[in-house]
Amino acid sequence: MKLQTAFFTIIIITIAMAALLFYINKKLREFDPLSEPKGIVLLTIMYAEMIDNLVKGKTNEKVAKYLTPYIMTVAAYIFLCNIAGLFALETPTSNLSVTLVLAAITCVLIEVYSAKARGPKGYIKSWFEPFAPFVVLNIMSKISTLLSLSLRLFGNILSGGILMSVIYQMLGAISRYIPLIGDKLNVMGVIVAPVLHFYFDLFSGVMQAFIFITLTSSFIGKELPNK
Amino acid sequence: MEKALMAFAAAMCVCGGCVTGIYEGKVAVQAVESIGKNPDAADKIQSMAIVGAAISETCAIYCLLVAFLIIFILGA
Repeated sequence: MKLQTAFFTIIIITIAMAALLFYINKKLREFDPLSEPKGIVLLTIMYAEMIDNLVKGKTNEKVAKYLTPYIMTVAAYIFLCNIAGLFALETPTSNLSVTLVLAAITCVLIEVYSAKARGPKGYIKSWFEPFAPFVVLNIMSKISTLLSLSLRLFGNILSGGILMSVIYQMLGAISRYIPLIGDKLNVMGVIVAPVLHFYFDLFSGVMQAFIFITLTSSFIGKELPNK
Repeated sequence: MEKALMAFAAAMCVCGGCVTGIYEGKVAVQAVESIGKNPDAADKIQSMAIVGAAISETCAIYCLLVAFLIIFILGA
């Protein structure tokens, strides 16, 4: 069986994330609650507060208690996956299998919270709303949620990667005209590419992770009563 | 000849992104206007504008994916 290269990146990212979380856990345990937080402790507290406010704003308090840890993990994971290109690894989110799994988890969560909120009878009834033939359209709308969530993340990250490789080729062709070192070294690439990496990898990585978690929490919030 | 047609088809696909660009700009304009009118609601308007822009961007992403499919799968 041939493994895709994204597989190894996923293992590396998982190990790195686990190491980071152990380090943060150790720091948080040593942290004295009465003193002023700084460094990584402050960052962690700000991150947790931000996600907590976001999820509470989209859903209610009771659901947010269980949903926030998952959303925090998924946001950190997607962000680390998106910036893997900066460390010369293949970006896992430019592989459709990875984003499809992430979107499938969201879809399962939506169904679970919908069933919890409506009860078993109301949940089965919700598939046939407003009347029986609409079951086809309801199923299609559930599939389209899955497709649009996964393809949005996949398309954005893949297009960033492909654009970067095209730009590198173009800059390499330009730098061949520079005498002495132009043949061996991509001089223009060294000068121009960092700015573009900042946009395509960092900015778009943060944006896509934020959009994914916002959409996940608002889709779940839509299924809850009185929201 | 076939390759030229494929390149042309991919270029036509990406044209769908133009419309998305215009209307995503409209989302930003409306968000800025309403924040100017009501600065207290800036947080809510900001997150809604980002989500709206992201959802309308899906169309452009589909265009791009079809273009990629034409180039990398048909053209390979």
